Amino acid sequence: MENFEYFEPRTLKEAVGLLVKYKGGARLLAGGTDVMIEMKGGYVKPKYLINLKKIKGLDKISFSKKEGLRIGALVTWSTLLSSKPINQYYPVLRETASLIGCPQIRNIGTIGGNICHASPSADSAPALMIYEAQCVVAGPGRERIIPIEKIFTGVQKISLKKGEILTGFRLPTPDTESKGCYLKFSPRRAMDLPIVGVGVLVRASDGIFQDVKIALGAVAPTPIRARRAESLLCGMPVNDESIRKAAGEAVKESKPITDVRASRDYRLGLVEELTHRAIALSISKNITLE
Amino acid sequence: MKKSQIRIRVNGEWHELTVPNKKTLLEVIREDLNLTGTKKMCDTGECGSCTVLMDGMVVNSCIVLAVDANGKEITTIESLSQIGKLHPIQEEFIDKGAIQCGFCTPGMILSAKALLDQNPNPSEFEVKKAISGNFCRCTGYVRIVNAILSAAERLRSENDEGI
Repeated sequence: MENFEYFEPRTLKEAVGLLVKYKGGARLLAGGTDVMIEMKGGYVKPKYLINLKKIKGLDKISFSKKEGLRIGALVTWSTLLSSKPINQYYPVLRETASLIGCPQIRNIGTIGGNICHASPSADSAPALMIYEAQCVVAGPGRERIIPIEKIFTGVQKISLKKGEILTGFRLPTPDTESKGCYLKFSPRRAMDLPIVGVGVLVRASDGIFQDVKIALGAVAPTPIRARRAESLLCGMPVNDESIRKAAGEAVKESKPITDVRASRDYRLGLVEELTHRAIALSISKNITLE
Repeated sequence: MKKSQIRIRVNGEWHELTVPNKKTLLEVIREDLNLTGTKKMCDTGECGSCTVLMDGMVVNSCIVLAVDANGKEITTIESLSQIGKLHPIQEEFIDKGAIQCGFCTPGMILSAKALLDQNPNPSEFEVKKAISGNFCRCTGYVRIVNAILSAAERLRSENDEGI
């Protein structure tokens, strides 16, 4: 690993100033579980490393029913797991956090870092997508809000401009009737990326699907919402046939590649099976509660 | 400046050091403080051999920059035995045959300690989750899980006697 100059800005303004000043030569450090690997492997060689941890408030979670949830970009997975509002109102996000890495990774890895690394298989993406998170971005100009779906532009590419920093997420309060889950398919239960990850959030009443959100990871250059499958399912009766049709549609919306983890066809098969399973499981959670 | 001054508290003792910015906490522990119980293996945050406690939480010290650990409290395997007496977790690892080559052992024991500090009565599944970031290529984990469960039992009964 090549050496670098190191900064610990105390304010966002200071951090943005450093990013602007050092342009392409600078990298931001959050938890470091990705950037340290990239630096050690020589994939990135920053001349300036800007540690965000000394900026107050970036590691905080706050919630009110009216305002929804606010999660700072530097909130670690372990902090997220111990948050009561997340446990109560955003259980799919909690479930996601529990499936990430291992204790050593969850103790330092951050939700903002996971999104900014922008891996197609980023575990945090499906949950943030089904809860319709908005990304809060600071920069030289005004604060910007970017919907989570628009933050990803390609494999390990995000839509932040020069000098911009992702500072956190805002999640609206979900309907209390909605139920969901995140299914992560990987050979190991720890320290692994999903071959395919499926997050769903559904609301059904009177035997009809009223609201459906489906997000898929590791099936395209970026995490995606399966919008056509969602609209196909809305208004349909709650039964296996409807769910099978939606799962089939989700397959058509996926464009996976063949790589070291799995082939394209295997992934497509997984999308169908996991989407079906995730919706069925969520609906059964719904039924249990009634 | 490509060096920084840091102050870290390792096993109860403060150390002031000037370190290159790129130096990891693991390298400082092993090379500057000569505490070689913490092992360097994969060096990419995958295997858990370099596990230490930072402010009571397990971290892979190979992917933590020393400058980022400034002001933190670090616990390494060396601090577990007191006045020549091994920690109950260490004794149970020996008694239950949970050590073969020994390279994963310091990290494994610190993950066990972090668990038992928080949860004195873990289930087998909770033990497995707690060591899910620590690779062992020799034992197949069964004896390690058994050692941690019996260490938990011993620590509970010792604490009861204390009351």
